[in-house]
Amino acid sequence: MIRFILSRVFQSLVALAILSVVVFILARATGDPLHLILPMSASEEDYAYARRYLGLDRPYVEQYFSFVGKAVTGDFGTSLRARRPVSELIRERLPNSLRLALFAMCVSLSFAFPLGVLAAVNKGTWIDRTAQVIAVLGQSLPTFWVAIVLVEFVAGRLQWLPAGGISGFASYILPGFTLGWFVVAGMMRLLRSGMLEVLDSEYVKLARVKGVVERRVVWLHALKNALIPVVTFAGIYFAILVTTAIVVETVFAWPGLGRLAYEGISSRDFPVIQAVVLTTAAIVAVVNLGVDLLYAVIDPRIRHAR
Amino acid sequence: MRSALHIVTMSLLFVALALVPATAGWAQVKPELSVALSSFSTEVLDPVLGGHIVKYYLSPMFDYLVGTTPEGQPSRDGGIAMRWENSTDHKRWTFHLRKGVKFHNGDEVTSEDVKFSLQRAMGKRSTTGYAGPLRTLIQDIETPAPDRVVIVTKEPTLIIPTYLSRTLSTEGMVLPKKYIEANGDDAFARKPVGSGPYKFVEQVTGSHIKLAAVDNHWRIGVPRFKIMTFRLVSEETTRIALLRRGEVDVADVSRERVAELEKEGYPVHFRKEEAILSMYWVLPRDGQPTADKRVREAMNLAVDRAEIAQAIFAGKADPASIPLGLSWSFRDIGFKVTPEMVYPYDPARAKKLLADAGFAGGFSQEVYAFQLPGLPEGKAFAEAVSGYWQKIGIKTKIVPLDYPGFRKIWVDRKAPGAVGYYNIANRDWIGAYALLEKMAYTPSKANDTVGDPEIDGMIAQVMRQTDRDKINALMRNIFTRLRSEHYGVPVVYLHSPYATSKTLGKWNPGSVMYDLFFDQLASGK
Repeated sequence: MIRFILSRVFQSLVALAILSVVVFILARATGDPLHLILPMSASEEDYAYARRYLGLDRPYVEQYFSFVGKAVTGDFGTSLRARRPVSELIRERLPNSLRLALFAMCVSLSFAFPLGVLAAVNKGTWIDRTAQVIAVLGQSLPTFWVAIVLVEFVAGRLQWLPAGGISGFASYILPGFTLGWFVVAGMMRLLRSGMLEVLDSEYVKLARVKGVVERRVVWLHALKNALIPVVTFAGIYFAILVTTAIVVETVFAWPGLGRLAYEGISSRDFPVIQAVVLTTAAIVAVVNLGVDLLYAVIDPRIRHAR
Repeated sequence: MRSALHIVTMSLLFVALALVPATAGWAQVKPELSVALSSFSTEVLDPVLGGHIVKYYLSPMFDYLVGTTPEGQPSRDGGIAMRWENSTDHKRWTFHLRKGVKFHNGDEVTSEDVKFSLQRAMGKRSTTGYAGPLRTLIQDIETPAPDRVVIVTKEPTLIIPTYLSRTLSTEGMVLPKKYIEANGDDAFARKPVGSGPYKFVEQVTGSHIKLAAVDNHWRIGVPRFKIMTFRLVSEETTRIALLRRGEVDVADVSRERVAELEKEGYPVHFRKEEAILSMYWVLPRDGQPTADKRVREAMNLAVDRAEIAQAIFAGKADPASIPLGLSWSFRDIGFKVTPEMVYPYDPARAKKLLADAGFAGGFSQEVYAFQLPGLPEGKAFAEAVSGYWQKIGIKTKIVPLDYPGFRKIWVDRKAPGAVGYYNIANRDWIGAYALLEKMAYTPSKANDTVGDPEIDGMIAQVMRQTDRDKINALMRNIFTRLRSEHYGVPVVYLHSPYATSKTLGKWNPGSVMYDLFFDQLASGK
């Protein structure tokens, strides 16, 4: 088991190292941030001074090793745009993204569970077909469109819920629903297929033969086993929700990591871009590692096979 | 029964009496002004090191050395300097400071603070728009008394007070010397201390900036709003929803949503001609078709400005005729756009001019298309102009790119003859002069879009001139020549709409660059 864990940790570190090189190069390929920071009247001397002051005049290799050396200690440098330590900005934004992702996950689970189970139990009926339609809508409606429609009608016209910003529980509902809605479809389909497989298994048939009430068979005996892939999948989805909420955070004026990334990219703020990409990659790596470990714990065959 | 009626009547009367003063009080002092903006620029609260262009949330926090009315005229009531005078040689400017003004930390504002602020604004780390010209201009800053500052210039000049006023950038903001020296730049940027009517409370980057009113301020009296919050809301649908829900009082909106909001009863305030949307060619011009004046004129005549104003900018724009023609400066210098200067839409004449210039078969023209802050219509605009040019035979090629990418091509002069554009913020005569010095002056090298020795000579004279009438004449001549030589394709003046809540009342967003005068809106005077 320890060998398995060490092997997965090593793989994650290699992936992060490769990513750090890629993001370092790509961030610089977008152009010179000084064109956005300095005024139009800035002279060549002003550019040279700013480049020196911000450490952008050093060779790329030197800049990269300086960045990596500091990053491993949690120091991602200073934002070129906000003039604040990037680690401070991440600390300010990450909890907002985590909270929103958690809320969205709760939303998606609370929809996916009943829909998935009902669709499986009522296979081929109108309930199943309705659930399928919901699944298709969830995956086919663009997030930005859903977000704008909700803001325009639910917040703006009907005035039922806040339109943006963080101001208590109510402000989580629209962004959380928008973000979670996309996940509902995948989770529901996974749960439906899992349930169909389990409902057809011998132990479920035996439970029925023994006279166990159908509701108990479905919601207790079958669901428990059908949940395994869903729970592990939910972990991966959670990481995705934290790291891909740029659109939702922008529309709902949510000060999270996604918006920080957007602001960093649009202002060519290298330290911010690098830090956000590496932080999100680390989150994905940690969650993937956790999921792998969970699989290994649940199913010893996986552990031994590796 | 009588007793029950009595109790009910007395109760209603009591409720009514309790409500009346509460309602009246609410009407007089709304506790918070909330403003939703699409962009905060850099979000750095240090006016000097922030790479700032916008002053919306800085102006309520800081005082300027020289005040300005919302219409951009110097005001002795709005700045730390109550009066100022110059020596006969126009090289020494003495500013007399208002006494008893205090920073939010209790320190008194003195001439040392003014000197420190100006030196900081001119320093190498300064990212303010006019640090360079001030460095060139100012020789020394003297502080003969706590309430007196003398600025000594290298050359005679008239423009010092304007440079240090609210009209331009942030160089004139007075910062607390002791506080910054004791706590450092970073601490100041995180917790800024000014002397304006509102003091800093909280900033959450990417979300909001919150300010709280001082009890009473010499600029605006007792502020109408105890709290002023600026919320960063990039998406327009969200800003409008916030306005409808009453969560914000002011929101910048797009031109195409104006009719809908006005129909719903939301007052929409316009900053008339807030920017000129102008196209220009990347220099050098040598060897390019646009080296021929007739080609430049043809490209101007080919564009139907009225149609662009209507179709792309929802009628909230007006045709422009003067390249780099910042119209807020026209009133200062007495410049008038005559009917002859207005470009008609005349594709037939445009074609003839091209033929006369030897380009009857047209020529290839790259047009860079990009979005700009405050101009979501950018790409559509570029495509429309490109379409008009195609109609007269010019083979345009749209090159999609982001603005910083184009800016690099422009200043590095990597694509001579290519066309780009900018929505240049309107400004008064000194601001217009400063812009001309950047974009129409050969010595400014990279940023120049004109390359005309005659204009270079006039711009150089303005800085040294101390007779205001002669300055005005020079400025008028510069604009006249820019127009007669067709140095660029001025297309439209853009009007910028700001929607407000139905109860906000009168507000004059003024005509000063990147300032919306929210402190005036909060004025209790």
